[in-house]
Amino acid sequence: MGQGHYTVPETPSGSQVYVLGKGERLELDFQILPGESKDVDIFVDLAGEGAEFSLKGLYLCGAAEKVNIRTIVHHRAPRCRSSQLVNGIASGSSNVSFYGAVVVAPGADGTDAAQENHNIVLTPTALVQTRPQLEIYADDVKCSHGATVGQLDADALFYMRSRGIPEAEALHLLMLSFLSPVIPENFVMPSLSIF
Amino acid sequence: MGNLLEIKGLHARVGDKEILKGVDLCLPKGEVHAVMGPNGAGKSTLNAVLTGRPDYEVTAGSILFDGKNLLEMSPEERSHAGIFLSFQYPVEIPGVSITAFMKAAVNAHRKAAGLPEMKGAEFMKLLREKMAFVKMKPEFAKREVNVGFSGGEKKRNEIFQMAMLEPTLSILDETDSGLDVDALKIVADGVNALRSPEKSSIIITHYQKLLEYVRPDRVHVLKDGRIVASGGPELIEAIENKGFEQF
Repeated sequence: MGQGHYTVPETPSGSQVYVLGKGERLELDFQILPGESKDVDIFVDLAGEGAEFSLKGLYLCGAAEKVNIRTIVHHRAPRCRSSQLVNGIASGSSNVSFYGAVVVAPGADGTDAAQENHNIVLTPTALVQTRPQLEIYADDVKCSHGATVGQLDADALFYMRSRGIPEAEALHLLMLSFLSPVIPENFVMPSLSIF
Repeated sequence: MGNLLEIKGLHARVGDKEILKGVDLCLPKGEVHAVMGPNGAGKSTLNAVLTGRPDYEVTAGSILFDGKNLLEMSPEERSHAGIFLSFQYPVEIPGVSITAFMKAAVNAHRKAAGLPEMKGAEFMKLLREKMAFVKMKPEFAKREVNVGFSGGEKKRNEIFQMAMLEPTLSILDETDSGLDVDALKIVADGVNALRSPEKSSIIITHYQKLLEYVRPDRVHVLKDGRIVASGGPELIEAIENKGFEQF
């Protein structure tokens, strides 16, 4: 934190760039469904005071998909907020990478930034890499990030089975449980029976 | 009157550690038995083996449930056959409501019994009736399973699920730990209400509190992986007075 020198993050070619002015708000979501190999590349420039950005993303990979998710959020002005949550499930021999950078520029006091990326890996041949990165060059900021790669909760699975819910159905309920924070309202989830 | 459950020479281990070293226990239909024992006696392993928890390996012995080989059945098959475990530490399932959870459970039971799915209105009526029975507030139907519940609310939710599924064998694992008297009475009422000539219960505990409200027909003392004493309810008092060292 605060090590090295502040440099304006580069805008990678091919990214979707969003510049938010004073008080502007942006809510984004994305869903990557089974069978889709896809790059998500988002660059958000919080350029005006009090701008707010939120992102909810989910991915479901069941075969040999390649998914790259990259988000760069640049807090340039004071009192901006950003929150990012990306959850996904990788199975088969899919390959998923998440890179999320939050850069808080000098003078962007009162920044409130949160970033989380949680991943479930169902098969030994699926690969998930997650690289959260925080660079903070301002004082008086609230930043949090969390990244996990794991399996479905075995205790919860047993709890459901002990109530008579068959294993496959219990696994699907657990996947929905895991994804629920990133499923937008009115979004129709595809069948999870590929897993 | 036959036995609902017959455990013979049961040995079980977790990893390399042998925990059950020859448990024999018969539970006749219609009876409530208590299994008491100090920490580390094998109480949790016994209920894990009865309910089919993965990671517990039975190395010798047999368990018959209603004449069937229990050890060949999956956890869900055991549930369908009528076994219910009230968990010591009920698990939180974020994003899944009590309604969705119980609907999946009830309909899985009905499917296993060759019955059609229960429709929404009929299911909600049953759900509300059983929630009222354990004095759970109706808004809990929409709550995520055990998420943010107090200790008492979690145990109440276990008894609610038990009432929904109407098991023939209910196993209560340390259900009385961490319960206040009101919650304890609800648990006891739930167990007592399910008492019938066909249904049996095992209460696994190292306290006697719950046993003041649910009088067991027999009490077994589990120590170092074996049943070292069995008797009537008078054993509870002997344990209260002299502890487990006497066995």
